[in-house]
Amino acid sequence: MSFNSPELQNLLEQEKQRAMVNEMVSKMTSACWDKCVTGAPGSKFSNSEAACLQNCAQRYVEMSMLIMKRFQSMQ
Amino acid sequence: MDSFGSSTSGSTAAQPNPEAIMDQVKNQLAQAYAEEFLETVRGKCFDKCITKPGSSLSGSESSCVSRCVDRYIEATGIISRALFSQQQR
Repeated sequence: MSFNSPELQNLLEQEKQRAMVNEMVSKMTSACWDKCVTGAPGSKFSNSEAACLQNCAQRYVEMSMLIMKRFQSMQ
Repeated sequence: MDSFGSSTSGSTAAQPNPEAIMDQVKNQLAQAYAEEFLETVRGKCFDKCITKPGSSLSGSESSCVSRCVDRYIEATGIISRALFSQQQR
């Protein structure tokens, strides 16, 4: 077995994907936390804070698509 | 903790098996994720809770920090659910 065995490459590819997902979630959490959690954190999220976080993540994705399209249309 | 860099090109003996390498990769990644998460939480909660650093951490600052850590973990869960389970729209 060597470093370029297909199994190992597959597993590394999987880990790479996972790392990307992880990074996306952590970036978004950071951005949405700043936008949605105003004031000192309470012992429970209010409904509006929780809804804001959820909307924030979904709008972020939507916006990414828009930006991608915008760039594509410039080429 | 030794790395898997010991057997570079040429050496045929003592090649680590792929599972051992993968385990090591996974462990190191998990550790890196944890460290990065910790660093983020430190920054966020410092901003939120230690607004005017005094001569010691006050009781209310400490309890703000524990709530902040809990909420940040919760927020991470909300974000990943919002991203990966779209049916709740």
